Amino acid sequence: MSATRSPKVSERVAPKAADPQPPKKKKHDEDDGPDFATLLHAWIESHRASWIDSLRRLGKQPIGSFFTCMVMAVALSLPMGLSLLLNNVERLGGSWQRAAQISLYLELEASPAQGEALRDQIKGMPGVADAEYVGREQALEEFQQQSGLGEALRELPENPLPGVVLVTPNEVDKPTLEALRQKLSELPKVQQAQLDLVWVERLAAILKLGDRFVFGLTVLLVSALLLVIGNTIRLHIENRRTEIEVIKLVGGTDSYVRRPFLYMGALYGFGAGLLSWGVLAFGLNWLNDAVVGLAGLYGSDFALAGVPVADGLSLLLGAVLLGYIGAWIAVARHLRELAPK
Amino acid sequence: MIRFEQVGKRYPNGHVGLHELSFRVRRGEFLFVTGHSGAGKSTLLRLLLAMERPTSGKLLLAGQDLSTISNAQIPFLRRQIGVVFQNHQLLFDRTVFNNVALPLQILGLSKPEIAKRVDSALERVALSDKADLYPGDLSTGQQQRVGIARAIVHRPALLLADEPTGNLDPRLAAEIMGVFEDINRLGTSVLIASHDLALIARMRHRMLTLQRGRLIGDGEAGV
Repeated sequence: MSATRSPKVSERVAPKAADPQPPKKKKHDEDDGPDFATLLHAWIESHRASWIDSLRRLGKQPIGSFFTCMVMAVALSLPMGLSLLLNNVERLGGSWQRAAQISLYLELEASPAQGEALRDQIKGMPGVADAEYVGREQALEEFQQQSGLGEALRELPENPLPGVVLVTPNEVDKPTLEALRQKLSELPKVQQAQLDLVWVERLAAILKLGDRFVFGLTVLLVSALLLVIGNTIRLHIENRRTEIEVIKLVGGTDSYVRRPFLYMGALYGFGAGLLSWGVLAFGLNWLNDAVVGLAGLYGSDFALAGVPVADGLSLLLGAVLLGYIGAWIAVARHLRELAPK
Repeated sequence: MIRFEQVGKRYPNGHVGLHELSFRVRRGEFLFVTGHSGAGKSTLLRLLLAMERPTSGKLLLAGQDLSTISNAQIPFLRRQIGVVFQNHQLLFDRTVFNNVALPLQILGLSKPEIAKRVDSALERVALSDKADLYPGDLSTGQQQRVGIARAIVHRPALLLADEPTGNLDPRLAAEIMGVFEDINRLGTSVLIASHDLALIARMRHRMLTLQRGRLIGDGEAGV
């Protein structure tokens, strides 16, 4: 804008008749009312400007914005992290399904051929995932290795251990397992069918408790998150109180006032979601080394799964939505104060 | 343009802001509202801006009843009004151009149209060369003129001003009043709340006098 001489008021104002500006409002509307394409363009432009303005304001306070996002990220990471750990425990439960095997102790006089035939028969039964036959000699050998009583056992006049068919069920469900055990115990050459369900019940109870704990924690932390974002947006509103009042007085609608704050809330949420995703991925990876080592001691190849992409995207979307909702609540409260009384 | 019919405003604490006020303002008219502090001038302007609602009577502005207008309609009503404040209410983190452009951005006009109208409004208040400056770089009188440019840029049917010369010296005050008269000559109704009786007397326009919320005078100033 070049500097020019400022004319006097009398020079500046054109005579009424010569001024292209119509004197009456109704005529302005008829002459100047924007068409749909212009309005659409203006609407898009307004949203774009709000985005840029929100980004600019966050960028002007990088440390403050980062810490706000970090607080939100921690609040998001706690329930999400716990939920991911529970998913891993459930997976671990699945991998230990073998421990829910039904052991069929055969009669001592049952031959290896009879044992193998029985195994094949059981494999074809409904509710059975797998069956494995362990012959008397193999059982004795394994027992000698695991018990440390090798020399003593070799002194025995004959092998006291029966052949065993280890049956892996399809489902780890108490009534189903009990029914299967009953059915298997009635098969020929089976002396005893043994099932240990206590650990299955305990694991299921722990997982159920964990689910409830995660749900409760989620509700609590989501509320905290809404308060954090609401309070942050409230501070932004306080800083822009004059601007909001002016916008309202020159004809800005509530949605026009609300828009930049909603975008700001969504941006906070997006930042928090990304940080949370990173924290969880890093945390699970960090824990994994210890878990793999521990699982190895129990002869398992179990490893923690990272953050699945779908879960990460859900986390991101949820965080954006929470930021948006928190901002909406904060602005709505302020707009109510400005409403005419 | 404006019709007050027995309009009253009583606040929850019992204070009466306006007491059965009745008068009319024609389209294109220029008038002052005067009175001492607490007479009800600001209440009257707040009612016209739909910042408050009357507690009794009927208030019509451009055919709309402000006693019953919905909150959603208020922004659209305000787009027909320009408002000038004593303390300017400018946004100090925006340039003069962007301050004046605000009502047009809200209206959703295109950038070229906004530029055209802002230039025209700034020219009218003799600030064309200040468009890229920030309000903080301007004198008080220039800031007030930016406020006026913002109030007229969207070509309102009614211009309201609350003590627009309250902080200005007599020479600047006269200049600002001259700007208001220029705007009025273009067909905009102008209603100015002021207690500067000397200035009002020189202008020779209609003057409403309020006292403790009651209308005690309605006639030409200086007569």
